[in-house]
Amino acid sequence: MTPHHTAVVLAAALSLTAAPALAHKLKVFAAADGAEVSGYAYFSGGDRAQGAALTVTGPDGTVLFTGATAADGTFRFTAARRVDHTLTVDGGDGHQAQATLPAADLPPGLPGGEGNEASAAPAPAAVFTPAPAPSAEMQAMIEAAVARQVRPLREQLDAYQDQVRWHDVAGGIGTIIGLAGLAFGLTRGRGRRS
Amino acid sequence: MAHIPDGVLSMPVLAAGIAVSVAGCAYGLKRLHPDRIPQVGMLSAVFFVASLVHFPVGPSSVHLILNGLTGVALGWAAFPAILVALLLQAVLFGFGGLVVLGVNIMNMAVPAVLCGLAFRRVRRAFPGDTRVAVAAAGAAGAGGVLLTGLAVAASLALSGREFLTAAHLVVLTHLPVLVIEGAFTAAAVGLVLRVKPAVLDDPAPHSDEDEGEGAP
Repeated sequence: MTPHHTAVVLAAALSLTAAPALAHKLKVFAAADGAEVSGYAYFSGGDRAQGAALTVTGPDGTVLFTGATAADGTFRFTAARRVDHTLTVDGGDGHQAQATLPAADLPPGLPGGEGNEASAAPAPAAVFTPAPAPSAEMQAMIEAAVARQVRPLREQLDAYQDQVRWHDVAGGIGTIIGLAGLAFGLTRGRGRRS
Repeated sequence: MAHIPDGVLSMPVLAAGIAVSVAGCAYGLKRLHPDRIPQVGMLSAVFFVASLVHFPVGPSSVHLILNGLTGVALGWAAFPAILVALLLQAVLFGFGGLVVLGVNIMNMAVPAVLCGLAFRRVRRAFPGDTRVAVAAAGAAGAGGVLLTGLAVAASLALSGREFLTAAHLVVLTHLPVLVIEGAFTAAAVGLVLRVKPAVLDDPAPHSDEDEGEGAP
């Protein structure tokens, strides 16, 4: 029984160190391709969050869209207005994450904030171009292509922000050792004085 | 799950969490004998790192908590140990919010202390019986996770969520964690009992109130 126990502890310890050290936190990623907004909810280790409730609200708090993530954690909806979209994903078990899709990522063709089309549509780019202004379809195509190419980069950045880095772990353990040492020293000093 | 992020819970729950955590930490520190400080630091570090070991379960993702082990080893001192570890997890890893830190400490430290006290009681009832002690440690390790899951579900319910749905989600996804932690705690305590049983004796078996028999 004796070597048995040691083996169990060793095996447990090994399996712990062998497991990937990943963070545990719900995140949501969203990007717009034209008026089509797509994204996914995931735990920062990379596992997708299935069936999590998605609520999209505008800057004034109005609910623009509600739904749930699919089996692979993805969602998709079409933006109707060119306003900041706040996406809230709720796993129901206390996990919740938020992300904001800025109005600037949506095509200028959509109606703006208060349903006031005059305030939106900032299309001054054409004024400065000496060449004939590109057609609307052309602009849409360029935007779609750029969005498609930039998306993996943004996903990578988003995931990178959440990676647990080993120096954070080392720093945390160091802090704990330091605190314990401090507490030890303080109590010792007091004991000697009294 | 065990780490609730900011913006989910209601004010009264947050206030209650802070009150319980502050009181528990004060009591834990008051009872803490200086000789045990290194042990508290070590378990705090173990608790801190345990949360990085995670696995996907169904639609969610869970990680080790090890609050049962912390409670068995530290008793009331689990409160300060868990406070430090959770604060660092929140700051360094973004696990759980800072405003809800009080609730998170309460949800993990109260089960830890309860399991620790139950373990001590069983050990005192069966002095010298290693097998019973190991079984009790396993139960404490599993019970810590179960009680934490229920406490999280209760926190969510008191903030206006459906208790049964939340409890269902939280407890079901934590069944694997419960099994692993029960086995791990039993193995760890079994090892300690053979190598250095005095470590677990601390709040002196003969007098429960005053654990220190004079500083060296």
